[in-house]
Amino acid sequence: MNEQAIKDLLYKLADDLLILGHRNSEWTGFGPILEEDIAFSSMAQDKIGHSLAFYTLLHELGEADPDTVAFTRNANQFHNSQLVELPNGEYDFSLIRHFLYDNAEIIRFEMLSQSSYEPIAKVATKLKGEVKYHVLHANTWIRNLGSSTEEAIARLQTSLNEALPYALGMFEPSAYEQDLIDASIYRGEEAVKAAWQQRIRAVLEKTELQLPDLESITPITGGRTGSHTHHLQPLLDEMAEVFKIDPAAEW
Amino acid sequence: MYGGGNIFEATKLDDLQAEDPAKMAEFEARIARGEKIEPNDWMPALYRKQLIRMIEQHAHSEIIGSLPEGTWITRAPGFRRKMAQMAKVQDEVGHAQLLYSAAETLGKSREQMLTDLINGKSKYSNVFNYPALTWADSNVISWLIDAGAIVNQMANARGSYGPYSRALERICAEEAFHLKYGHDAVVHLATGSPKQREMIQAALSRWWPPIMTFFGPSDKMSTHTETLMRWKVKMATNDDCRQQFLDMYVPKIWELGLTVPDPNLKKNAETGKWEFTEPDWEEFKRVINGDGPCNAERLAVRRSAEERGAWVRKALLHPKAKYVKPLA
Amino acid sequence: MSLTSLDPRVTRLNLPDGEVPLMAPKPALDQFETYEVFHQKKESAAYTYVGPVHAPNEDVAFLFAKEQYSRRAACVGLWVARTAHIQVTPYVGDGENVYDTLRLETPTEQSGQPEPYEIFHLKKRGKAHTHAGRVMATSYQGAVQEAKKAFGEKGPIVNVWVVRSGHVLQSAEEDKDMWLTVPEKKYREATAYKVMDKITKFKEQQTNTPAQ
Repeated sequence: MNEQAIKDLLYKLADDLLILGHRNSEWTGFGPILEEDIAFSSMAQDKIGHSLAFYTLLHELGEADPDTVAFTRNANQFHNSQLVELPNGEYDFSLIRHFLYDNAEIIRFEMLSQSSYEPIAKVATKLKGEVKYHVLHANTWIRNLGSSTEEAIARLQTSLNEALPYALGMFEPSAYEQDLIDASIYRGEEAVKAAWQQRIRAVLEKTELQLPDLESITPITGGRTGSHTHHLQPLLDEMAEVFKIDPAAEW
Repeated sequence: MYGGGNIFEATKLDDLQAEDPAKMAEFEARIARGEKIEPNDWMPALYRKQLIRMIEQHAHSEIIGSLPEGTWITRAPGFRRKMAQMAKVQDEVGHAQLLYSAAETLGKSREQMLTDLINGKSKYSNVFNYPALTWADSNVISWLIDAGAIVNQMANARGSYGPYSRALERICAEEAFHLKYGHDAVVHLATGSPKQREMIQAALSRWWPPIMTFFGPSDKMSTHTETLMRWKVKMATNDDCRQQFLDMYVPKIWELGLTVPDPNLKKNAETGKWEFTEPDWEEFKRVINGDGPCNAERLAVRRSAEERGAWVRKALLHPKAKYVKPLA
Repeated sequence: MSLTSLDPRVTRLNLPDGEVPLMAPKPALDQFETYEVFHQKKESAAYTYVGPVHAPNEDVAFLFAKEQYSRRAACVGLWVARTAHIQVTPYVGDGENVYDTLRLETPTEQSGQPEPYEIFHLKKRGKAHTHAGRVMATSYQGAVQEAKKAFGEKGPIVNVWVVRSGHVLQSAEEDKDMWLTVPEKKYREATAYKVMDKITKFKEQQTNTPAQ
């Protein structure tokens, strides 16, 4: 059947969410203003929650339990895109990443809510509303900051240019792309990417930020097959530091 | 979360003589009737000053209090703890936001309060100048520091100032989660593997002395304190809060087979009061005045957050913005 | 030398270790203006005041309000209004009705088109203002007068807030799904943490284990 393909899809969804949620949680207490600190933390919590929902589906398909999967694998066993594992940098980079990621995520969730694989469709339908806020948050910030001071525009532009090759890496096709499409489980990365371009372009057009010609950018791929930057393993080590004191214990 | 031990400024009571006697009588009668004071009401300068000080210290304690547990936010073990630890630390930031807003209604801007915090001019709860050495320390804070905070906040929620009471009601509701979460985490360690038990006992031993100072030294009952109590600014004495805390939580610590590192701790059956070794108030004074293990780091981190966010705030500031203090 | 912390996030900030000069006082408006936030708990309930947020404009205020005031409790709608746009009557004592004490002048000449105003009442000091309803008027004064006629009889009302409806950013029908899952986020609720069984089991083991 398509079980292998579904697992592959679930792993990349869940791993992206876990790692991005973890990164975003690093801002808790350090945000640019108290109110934003709170909003950003909520979204980080949602991301971790969404990853848990997908790991739970994997568990139902026979994979290890969510804690074991999340806290004991090594970097080369993770299927997340490299975009989400990069360090937070300053707020400009974290916001740009949030903007690029969530505008793809909402498309994925919309597609997945129509999936022929019912467990995924259910989760996506239920959680879509949360992602909607994430996108509203990202787009509002980019629209506001992207047409503000010279400094803010320059910072965002630099971060956008830096992040784009990694963002394009989110759409790295999997070995099961056609199987998923044929079975109406997922419409595939090409379709997500096309819709994503339109979405981010529509927002950026309302700002003074320039979207470079995406065709001229070489995507940084490899994340989906376990090839990662040197940033991921230390992140995982840190995340599992307490868990690994006694992986069999209940914490 | 927050402790007692508010540092009330010793103001000369002569100041009260300068107030309009008719307005003062009306103000005191309102409080005596059990009505709340709202921001636009007339109030004595001393009332305003002490409330600003108290709410501001409380707000600072929340924002700085997010840091010891924040120490473990990226390392919380397992999904359940990871999400809850994030939500708990987030709540502390949220509480700071609520409290700064309440203090603002009295006329001190958030800008001034943050400046005073970062430059060491205003105080915050002293316990947060101690480090969270291990995950278990973070659990002890979540449980027992928040438990102490609830004792204090439940009392203050009955105070006379409307905006502070409203904020505290919201905060107390959220703290219920903190307390249960903290207890849950401590119970898991205390009833877990030998290594886990060892971790939680060590953390409890480290945190007990700061916890005992959490409510501040015994109040010196002066005319000043009596005035603040009559005005329902100060709602309970530090000793009463400490006794209430010990009453509620020492049995819960003991039932887990944990040792409280104070051989003199016991409840006197005759007086019904807890007896304990007097905390080291010299150390308390030294630490609150800046010389504790983490004072410098706590303020440096807060300052860095403000400085790194400066370009964001500058970029979004509307040229026609005009500050009006929050309404309630 | 940079600061090494127990918190790996802090260590990564590369903060200076040691004495630093005082921070320059924050300039006015560094924390923006304030907006007042009202939430609706369920469809039939009146919008209720929950508190302020600091924000640069109403769109961002809405983003902030949503997480600061509706992340932990059921919510189906949110209103946000710039504090400067809300007019406030004096406060009276508990049990009184502020409308009885207001000297409302009849607007001499009706000028301009009437427009909607939102009216909020505080029923008791220390509680929160709740939405009483909407009136049509050409000025704040006129709105208070209309409010008195429409819903000023049922006291006590200790204070009234008035704001032009056009100055209130209101969440839309299609925004409601943003709050759909809030009640399911049990990990931040006290009820999700139940340890009595663990404690009881632990105590039993202690009593059953002979002292060494």
